[in-house]
Amino acid sequence: MTPLAAGGAPAGLPAVQSADTGRGRARRRLPASVRSALMLFGVLIAWEIAVRLARVPVYLLPPPSVIALRILQDWRLILAQTWVTSAEVLMGFGLSIAISIPLAAMLFQWRWLEETLYPLLVASQTMPKVAVAPLLVVWFGFGLAPKILIAFLICFFPIVVDSLVGFRSLPKEVLWLAKSMGASPGKTFFKIQIPAALPHIFAGIKVAATLAVVGAVVGEFVGSDTGLGYQLIVANGSLDVRLSFAVLIVLSLIGIVLFGVVDLVERLLLPWHISQRRAGPRRAGELE
Amino acid sequence: MTSAALDMREVGMVYPTATGDIEALADISFSVAPGEFLAVLGPSGCGKSTLLALASGLEFPTAGHITVSGRPVAGPITDVGIVFQTDVLLDWRRVLGNVLLQIEMRGRDPALFRERALGLLRMAGLGGFEAKYPFELSGGMRQRVSICRALIHDPPLLLMDEPFGALDALTREQMVLELHRLWFEARKSVVFVTHDIQEAVFLADRVLVMTPRPGRIAEILPIGIAHPRHPTTRETPEFIGMVAHIRKLFLDTGVLKDNQ
Repeated sequence: MTPLAAGGAPAGLPAVQSADTGRGRARRRLPASVRSALMLFGVLIAWEIAVRLARVPVYLLPPPSVIALRILQDWRLILAQTWVTSAEVLMGFGLSIAISIPLAAMLFQWRWLEETLYPLLVASQTMPKVAVAPLLVVWFGFGLAPKILIAFLICFFPIVVDSLVGFRSLPKEVLWLAKSMGASPGKTFFKIQIPAALPHIFAGIKVAATLAVVGAVVGEFVGSDTGLGYQLIVANGSLDVRLSFAVLIVLSLIGIVLFGVVDLVERLLLPWHISQRRAGPRRAGELE
Repeated sequence: MTSAALDMREVGMVYPTATGDIEALADISFSVAPGEFLAVLGPSGCGKSTLLALASGLEFPTAGHITVSGRPVAGPITDVGIVFQTDVLLDWRRVLGNVLLQIEMRGRDPALFRERALGLLRMAGLGGFEAKYPFELSGGMRQRVSICRALIHDPPLLLMDEPFGALDALTREQMVLELHRLWFEARKSVVFVTHDIQEAVFLADRVLVMTPRPGRIAEILPIGIAHPRHPTTRETPEFIGMVAHIRKLFLDTGVLKDNQ
């Protein structure tokens, strides 16, 4: 028996790093984060130069420097609106996590419930959320509620679907084993089924994290007097393209930060899974 | 008189399927004495695994009676250690945590079993690996961890479902030797399902040979080779004779065919 991975790799870090899976070549390149940053920087420079050389009017496409300046000038306004939108995003996102995972667990536990409810869930998803938004405004007014609800509606489906896949991915032998240990269903659920499903659950949560911002902004578009979505409408209405771009950038920053936080939590919670993924062949997830 | 570790009387099992009933097992009667090593040997699909599912109370026979330690089987048996073909270790638990899962799930204090778990791991050649994650181990090591997990609570009966089926030939031979030593020291009742004739003869007190579907008992063969057995046991005339006898049985029942 070869003492595979017997070397003193620190706990939680990938100990198995085979050089023949393409990692060997990757190691000589710059780290992915640096490469991404350089790429972004290059695009911004090209944008700046192109716009200035072609003398594109600022009210059509402002150069990045002008947008950055605008963010700095209007930071109070933008920050205030960012708070509002972030709160909507976080509440809608949180609500979807809180409801979707137990729902998926119930669907997994009771086959009849899944058979009854799943088609309805799919049907509810084919309804465009953007079209439902005005209705929600009619029902819940112009406050926080409709924005949270739309963010929730957009977020919950991917989490439910992925969590369900996660619960199902557990081999039946594990459940047999748990029975032979005399474990209660509750104990089996929390000690085995939930942790086993976590990688899939996180995949769903990551998708939802990018969608939550869309939900909140759609809500603000339809009926609101605060928030970045509202600000975007106002800026567009007055042909203030610089402010529009400023808001767009902040919106995408919210999405990136939310995604980053989820990613970080995943890394902390699932060191066993992340390391496995890195040791294996490169997958789409590494391009993030 | 002590009752048998496992006793099956005229057990039959029929699965209803969309295309009609499938008879997996028919007329199975045998018993395993306390401390006995019984190998169940048969071709794929002869209902060997069904036999273990019945013995552990995860499924119930459509005919016959099963008792474990004298008690009729009415639900999942908990006084047992189970090893599957796949190690089914929990990826998020370290080696020690995987072994102690058995204790935690039983609602007992894992701290009390820590020393015993470490001892078992050392005995299985895994000393120093207790803080590794399963993905850091080779297939053979993972299966050893799962055997430790099946032994930690000191069950009187061990059910093993082709535990070395997924391992390479050399690792497999090594594991067979280690399992034999482990059994020789602990003397638990073992039901060991396999499709490997040599493995069965080497390990068992008796080999239960099964026929293809529906699984019936072709013969229960006592292996009169003294314990403990060694790698060289495989070269003794008794061993070779037993293997030849079983191979002939498989030829007779059509499990093996001579194409000449």
